[in-house]
Order: sequence, then structure tokens, then C-alpha cells
Amino acid sequence: MYKLKPVPIKVLKMRDKYRNTIPKVCTSRLKIVTDFYQNNPNITGILKRAMVFKEIAEKTPILISEDEVVVGSMASTYRGSALFPENDITWMQADYDNGKLFNRELDPYIIDEEDWEYIKSVIPYWKKNSLSAMVDQYIPEGYFSAVGNQVTVYNSEGICAAPVGHFCSNYDKAIRKGFGAVKAEAQAKMAEMEGHMETDTIKQYNFYRSVVIVSDGMIVLSKRYAAEAARQAAECTNSERKAELEMMADSLNWIMENPARTFYEAIQVMFLYQIGMCLHNNMHGISFGRVDQYLGSFYEADLKAGRTTPEKAQEIFDLFALKVAEMNKIWFSGTTLTVTGYTVGQLMTLGGVDKENNDATNAVTYMMLQTAGRLILHDPPMALRINKNTPKELWEAALETTKICGGVPTFENDDVIIPALMKNGRMNLESARNYCLIGCVEPGGTGDEWPACGGSGGEAYWNMPMAIIHAINDGNNPMTDRYGNKSDKRTGAHTGYLYEMDTFDDVLEAVTTQYKYFLEWQMTMVNMFEVVAAEHMAQPLISCMMDGCMESGKDVMNGGAKNNSCGVPGVGIGNAIDCLAVIKYMVYDHKLCTAKELYEAVMNNWEGKEDLHQFILNKVPHYGNDNEYCDEWAKWLLNLFADIVSSFTNIRGCKFAPGLYPVATNVLWGLLTPATPDGRRKHEPLSDGISPVQQLDKNGPTALLKSLANIPQEKYSNGTLLNMKFHPTALSNETGMAKLEALMKTYFSMGGMEMQLNVVSGETLRKAQENPEEYKDLVVRVAGYSAYFVELFKNCQDDLIQRTELTL
Amino acid sequence: MSGINLKGKVYDIQGFSIQDGPGIRTTVFLKGCPLSCPWCHSPESQAFGSQLSWMSMRCIGIEQCGKCLNVCEKGAITPGEVTKKSGTDEDIQYVHINRKICDNCGSCTEVCYPGGLSMCGEEYTVNDLVDRVSKDTPFYEQSGGGVTISGGEALSQPQFVFEVLKSLKEIEIHTALDTTGFTDGKNIDAVLPYTDLFLYDLKHMDSVQHKQVVGVANEKILENAKRIAKAGGKIQVRIPVIPHFNDSQDNIRQTGEFCKSLGEAVVLVQLLPYHNLGITKYQRIFDDVKVLEAEPPSDEKIQKLKEILEDFGLTVTIH
Repeated sequence: MYKLKPVPIKVLKMRDKYRNTIPKVCTSRLKIVTDFYQNNPNITGILKRAMVFKEIAEKTPILISEDEVVVGSMASTYRGSALFPENDITWMQADYDNGKLFNRELDPYIIDEEDWEYIKSVIPYWKKNSLSAMVDQYIPEGYFSAVGNQVTVYNSEGICAAPVGHFCSNYDKAIRKGFGAVKAEAQAKMAEMEGHMETDTIKQYNFYRSVVIVSDGMIVLSKRYAAEAARQAAECTNSERKAELEMMADSLNWIMENPARTFYEAIQVMFLYQIGMCLHNNMHGISFGRVDQYLGSFYEADLKAGRTTPEKAQEIFDLFALKVAEMNKIWFSGTTLTVTGYTVGQLMTLGGVDKENNDATNAVTYMMLQTAGRLILHDPPMALRINKNTPKELWEAALETTKICGGVPTFENDDVIIPALMKNGRMNLESARNYCLIGCVEPGGTGDEWPACGGSGGEAYWNMPMAIIHAINDGNNPMTDRYGNKSDKRTGAHTGYLYEMDTFDDVLEAVTTQYKYFLEWQMTMVNMFEVVAAEHMAQPLISCMMDGCMESGKDVMNGGAKNNSCGVPGVGIGNAIDCLAVIKYMVYDHKLCTAKELYEAVMNNWEGKEDLHQFILNKVPHYGNDNEYCDEWAKWLLNLFADIVSSFTNIRGCKFAPGLYPVATNVLWGLLTPATPDGRRKHEPLSDGISPVQQLDKNGPTALLKSLANIPQEKYSNGTLLNMKFHPTALSNETGMAKLEALMKTYFSMGGMEMQLNVVSGETLRKAQENPEEYKDLVVRVAGYSAYFVELFKNCQDDLIQRTELTL
Repeated sequence: MSGINLKGKVYDIQGFSIQDGPGIRTTVFLKGCPLSCPWCHSPESQAFGSQLSWMSMRCIGIEQCGKCLNVCEKGAITPGEVTKKSGTDEDIQYVHINRKICDNCGSCTEVCYPGGLSMCGEEYTVNDLVDRVSKDTPFYEQSGGGVTISGGEALSQPQFVFEVLKSLKEIEIHTALDTTGFTDGKNIDAVLPYTDLFLYDLKHMDSVQHKQVVGVANEKILENAKRIAKAGGKIQVRIPVIPHFNDSQDNIRQTGEFCKSLGEAVVLVQLLPYHNLGITKYQRIFDDVKVLEAEPPSDEKIQKLKEILEDFGLTVTIH
């Protein structure tokens, strides 16, 4: 039987503090960066980026709070939020103007009046000097006609508030080698080049020079923490805490410059490097990778040497996880419609295989699950890699954890993901076996890939059913866009109207045209963004650790990493598939209505056509029921999407990688998407992940999984997402759990890539909606992330309740 | 008609059925039962013919639809009272079905697109049914599961059940037969070679009380259990624990003794405590609720009964 161990008081106190602290906006970083940029207009490019990091490392507030052992902070207060004007900060003015800055309904922040006065005073400067401002200048003329399409994620201004993100740096190298060694390596390369540099060598020289600067920055940051720990130790009267602070001071003095010596030091390096990257780079899906693999040997060595006990190590891991949970950043209030609970996607991976394909589970793997379970923590999110030799005990620990903490961990299938990563020249076998999960469910290289998931640094959540609307409406968007504007011009390709299409093949041709049109625009814009961002947003702090960059002398933004993909995820898969099946069934196969009738019913949001609407919802086959009629079109559509995406090349010379996951954009996109032929009404959420439309999977979980396994998941190396909701009674005993495990294993053996579970009843969720105070700790999986249910956007809560609940 | 074209009447097929035998199973529910257990949770299983089922939560109301009113030649469907749509404040006018006039012809269900009205009981050929349930074979293989044939009393359609089980064994799918045991011995003999496991109800050891409450005596049932044991079949005994009927320690002790007498045949005994979740299902096909309403037995009580059975060396689980 899986058991949760009792939580030490110290950890409990820290958890309470985390749950009860409202984050405060801190202007320290904003001031440091603004002063540096304003005072040094002569410093540009990669050098500017390196020097601004060193400046931050030297000046950022050093905060060691009561009882902290793992240290590092983004701000001057516990759980505080830094600001990142180099990306974009004008959204703060917009939020202030519409009254939301000080009255955020979800994820509230404290902002001092005087801090706001300062922020306001520098916004005009950043309006002209942020990445958004620069990228806006480069938008190709032709794209302006596509703006307002609601298919692509790319607008005409201010789109860079999200940083480049979604990657996993090489933490293992930071832990085992340290920045001292990296700095020495860079200096040696520079010494070789001095005095005889041509073309590319000069760029390499500048790169290594910036590596030296950021390495110094990391060492300075660590030593400043060491000094603060020593200061607190000197003043401390509690002998136990005093000894702890002295130990911390000693370690913080040593690490960063030198290789870590203990389990604690390895964790501290990981965390402080994370703080460094986030302070430099804004925080967005910066994932930790295979944490159990980095830490396993340190833990074993400490145990063997008698330096630690399982309890002590567990406590340190708990405190580390709470430090990660604490990190957050304020972002425009609109973002809370898709991601809430202050989460920033700092995903950790556990389990999986080693280089030789042996199962790599170790003691830290279990330690990580123990932390998530006993602290009921959705952050840091965790992803468990499953393979054929995953131990029974690990399955049990993981399933029990997800029962307590909805969706933690997610289950990732090595047998599908590893071969998928090797397709299309993305990475070699060794890299693929060492993959981790990034952001929410994206497979990527551990420390050797710069995926920088597409879009404006965030993801390109591409609206699949909306492209079908364009296909049947001659390339026009019938809705007003998110800013309330109705486009008076064609936003897509010219493909005619549904009622002008004589055969279903004509429909497929129109869909193909629109998919190609919008996907190619999407990826074009991602490429354009990357070109401009590479010039202004070099990443020496990431590059100095990422495999490939030190060797090539190139920054990750210029393709220096060993591997270089870029993801494009589609959203609303279930609706899009059903649109095709419904059109074919109703108009062409069974001629139950004319194309004109169906077209008009859709354009009029089914008004006055309830009979037709009900027939479509209930009498026509829908995706997710192990029904060949739909599954054939599922395959067709998802092959189309995958093939277009994976034949397009990014600026770093690698092909784009298709994905199928929405975060919670399915709810937001739903609000902006008109009625669709599958029977969906205007404003209703789109379907989630690769799931069928909410409540239209009527044949139970086995039929559902067969339909999902039928789609070409092996082509989607950017990840697929399947959220399943089970009623707790289905899993109340060991037999039920064993059957669930068998269900998942069958899905995986049929080609399923990923699965995540919510074990909660609709009734509980409804009660939690009514009495949030009593359900403060209820963690649920939303989509690519988990959150405390009561902290979610109401529509998102409703969407979760609506999803089909699988029981007996 | 014989073989794979033989037809049977099915009222439900449930995938990922995890309480009806080992592993992940698909359970096929056949229509019709000679018993009349007052606690029956599947009222739609009792009659042999198809029945009209009515689910208010799916109906969109007369104002939006109302097509059923026009197609019913018997005049059995009339406008009902205006009420609130469940879970909302919206007014809705549902229809009223006069069950005395309705002859279950099903013409209303053909025009009911939202699915409020549907026919309970669909004919399947052996072939179609086997095709349908074998779709989940990957799940059976992974979990050690298979197909369970249930009812009603499945053996009320003995030839059909025989052909289905035989076909399933031909494609090596694990089979379970959920039965009341109230059937001719020859039906048991026929299915024995094709049934990997019998899920076998034992409701009461006293025949008089058995007859009084469920309408038939228990001799044939006990006899058939022995017949299965003797032929080397495997039995999973199921005891529904019904307050004031069979929940006395004495009756459970006698049941335990009987199970023990069957020897190796009994692989598991399941206690199924009474619950009252079947009531809404009654409302779908009857005007009045006829199901037994009682307080479910306490956990302590069930635990005690479990211990009594375990004293006979039986493996016992509670569901």
C-alpha cells in the first residue's frame, strides 16, 4: 500500500506561507534594467544581454526568508513578482486603463501606489524599446490582411509580452561542471582567437565573451546569497538554525564556480540557475528536465557517507518544490482566461529510460511524487515517463499521487515519444532517450534542444475549427475579433462557400487550402519573430550550458544548440473532426439537408433550426466512439495538419514539429469562435486536447481510447494531450486501480502518447464552486497544467464539470 | 433460425465494466427476467419486449420540438405540465406519456432527435453482437478481462446466449455469464464448456422466503449451482445484501455453508450491499416508482457478514 509520510512542521509552515501569501509586484528588476538600458544605448546585441544580466546579479535583492534552506528570489518580498520590460510592459498601462490592474479577479497582485507611479513613468520609454516594438516593425505587408482571422496566434502589435521560452537547459552540466569551468572554457577559446578573427569567428568571440560575463554573474549571485546566509548565521541565536545557515553559506560560496558536492548543493545549483535564467529571461515554460536523473547519484552518495537520511533529503526536496511553487509573474489580466493559479510551467520530468534503454527509476523518482502528494502541490508540475519496465511500485505511487493531486504526474509514453522525436531529423537516439517534458506536455531535449515553442515566444495555439469555418465561408471570419472588430475583408484564402461545393472532395480541397494558408502564415510569423528576437534577445546564460553552443560558439537563438525544433499545436481537434464528419454525413452521404441549409444554420448560430441541431448532435456519428466513419476523417485531418507543419523549416534549420494540446485556450478560443457545423454553438468552449467534444463520447473509455489511438500521434512530436476524468468510485480499491493501469497500458500499446487524470466527481466540483473556502486544496488538471480548482476562471471551471465523467 | 444469425434482445452494452468479473470487461445486458426482485436496479431488464424509455434531462421541451405529440397514433403522448428544467431556472413544458395507452411501438423515438425518448431493447444477431464486443479485445488482453453476458436473466434467451458464448470462445475471449441460476439444467449444461466464469446470485437459502419475495423458489437455483461445480465450472457467488430480507447472520451462515459445499468451484464471494440508485431508472419506464426503498446496510454490518463468510474459508469482497 502506498503511504504518504508525515510532513515536518517546518515544511508545513512554508506551505501555509505559500498558500496564504498574495504576491506583490516588485520594481527592483524593472529599475535595474531600465537604468542600464537608458544609460548604455551604446551597448548592443549579445553584449548588452550579457551585461544586463551581470548588472541584475549584482543588484537584485537578496532574500533569505525564515527557515529557508534552498534559496533564491525573483523579488524583494516572499513570492514577489518581477517585471520584464524588455519583452513588453505596455499591457500594464492597458490593464490600468480598463480598471483591471488593481482589481484582478483571478491571480490578484498587490501593487504599491508609488511603485505604479514609477512603472507608469517608464512605460513610454519601453513602448519604443521593447521587443514587441521592434518586432512590430517587421510584420510583412501581406499579413495585415490575415489579421482578425482567429485561426493563427499572431497579432499586429504588442505580441511579445511572452518571452522566448519552453526549453530545458542542461542543469546537469551546471551541477556537475559549474560556471567556473564554463568561464575557463570560454576564456581559452577567446585566447585562441585574439588577433586573427574573420567573419563568423568574430561572432563566436562575442558569444564566448558574453559567456564569461554571465558566468561571472551567476557566481556573484551565489556569493551574495552566501554572504547573506553568513550574516544571518552571525546574528542567529538558535543553534540549529545557525548551523544550517553556516552550512548554506559554505555551499553557496562553493557552488556555481565549482561542481556540486552534495544532494543539497545539486538542488541549490538547479534552483539558483533557474532564478538566474528567469531573472534574465522572463519566465515561461522554463522546464527542469529529468530532475531524478540529476539528483539520484548525489542522494545515494550522501546516504552512503552518512551525510543525510531519507527524511532529511525528502524535507530538502519539499522545500525546493515550495520554492519553485512560489515563483510567478504578473502578466496581463486576460491571460488568466487561459492559465491561472500563478503557474509558469516549470515542469519536472521523472522516470524514463537511460542511454541503454534500461528503466531509470531511482529513489529520487519516488521522493518527487511523495512531495507532490503530501504537500498537495500542483506546482512544480510533474511528468512521469512510462516504459515497458516501469516498476509496479512506481505505477502505484503515481496513480495514488494523481488521485490526491489531480493530474500530477502526467503519464508519458516512451515507446511512442522516443521514435516520434527521431522522425524528420529532429534528434538522434541518444538525445531522444534522454527527452524530458517541457511547459505542459511537450517532449523536448534535456539540455540539448532549443525548441522555443512557436508563436511570439509563447505557443501558436492554432484554432482548427476556425480554419474550417474559413473553408466553408470563402475565407471570411463571420465573428468580431477579440478586440470587438469585425473584419470587412477576407482574412483567409478564397475557397468559395459550402453551398457552392458539389462534392465532399470539394470541401476537403477547401479545408486543405485554408490549413495550408493559415499554417504557413503562422510559421512564417514565428520565423520572422525569431529573426528579430535573435538580434535583441540573445541568451548567453542558457547557451553556456545548452549542449552544442559552447562547441559551435553560437547562441541558442542563432541555432547553436544541438537540436532545434519548434512546436505548433492545434486546438479544437474534436470539433474540427466532427465538422468534417457532419458535413459529409448530412449533406453528401445521406442528403438530410442541403449545403445551404446547413451553412445558414451555422451562420445563424442554429437559431430557429433546433431540429437540425439536435439531429446533428445526437444522430450523427461523432469522434471518440470507436466509430470508423469519424475516425477516418480524424486521421485525414490530423495527417493534413501534421504534414503541413512538419514540412516547414524554422530559421535554425530544423523542421517545425506539430502538437495537439490547448492549455486552456480551448475555452478562450471558444468564446471567439462562431457556431461550427459539428453542432457547437457560438461561444461554447472548443474540445480539449485530443479529446472528443464534451459529452459526445458515449461509449465509455475503451471506445474513446481506441478512437484517439487511431489518430497519427507518432507524427506529433510536439506532444498530444489527453485529459480523462474518472469518478472516485471507479478507483476506490486496488482492483479498480489495477484496471485503470491496464486501461492506460492498452492505450499506450495502441499508440497513445500521453494521458493525465482527474479523479474527482462532478458533484465535488460543483460543491467547490459554491463553497470555495472548503475546497481550497482541491487540485485538478485543467489541460497542460494543474491548478487549485477554486482559483480557476469560471468558464474554465464549467468546462471541467462538463467533461465526460467516466465511471462504471 | 440458428447460428450466427440468431437474434437476441439487448438493452445495454457497457464498456470498461470493471465490477463484472476479472480485468476490463464489456458487459452485455439482455432483456427479460423470470424473477421479480423488489430491489432490482435495472427495471428495464425485467420485461422481455422493448419498452419506451423517457429521460426528461434530454428533452428540449414542446416549445422547441414537440414532434412526438404528432406522431403517436395512439394518442399516448400529451403535453405535460410546465416545470423548471433540471438544474436551471428555465421554464420547460415536457410531454406526458400515458403508459396505459402506449403500446411501445417506438414511432415517437424515431422523431425524437434529442434522445429524450428512446427504445429500451434492441435486437442483435449473434454475429453483430460478437463484432461489437470484440472491438475492445486489446483491453481484454492487457487486463485479463473479457466479456460478461448479463441480464435480466440471460438464460431466458438460452440459444442466443449459447451461440454468443461459443463464438466468443472461438476467438479466445474470456467469458463470464451473470445469472440468477433460475433456468433449466440443460441450459447450464449447454453453456458450461464456453463459460469461463459464472457470476451466480444467491439471494436466500430459505426457499419459502425466496419465493415470497422474488417470486420463484430457490431449489432449481441451488441445484444448478451444484451442477456447475460438479462439471468443473468456476463460480463467483454474488449476494445482494437486502435489509430485512436476507441480511440475517443466520442466512449468510447458511449461504456460506452452501458455498463451501461447492468446493473448489467457488473462486470468490461478493457482497453487494443494497443501495438506492436505481430509482431514477424506474421513472424512465414506469409512471410510479416500484423499487424497494430502504436504508442501506451499515458498513459494520457488512463487515460482520464478510467475516462470517470468511470463516468458511471463502475469499470475500465487498462492492
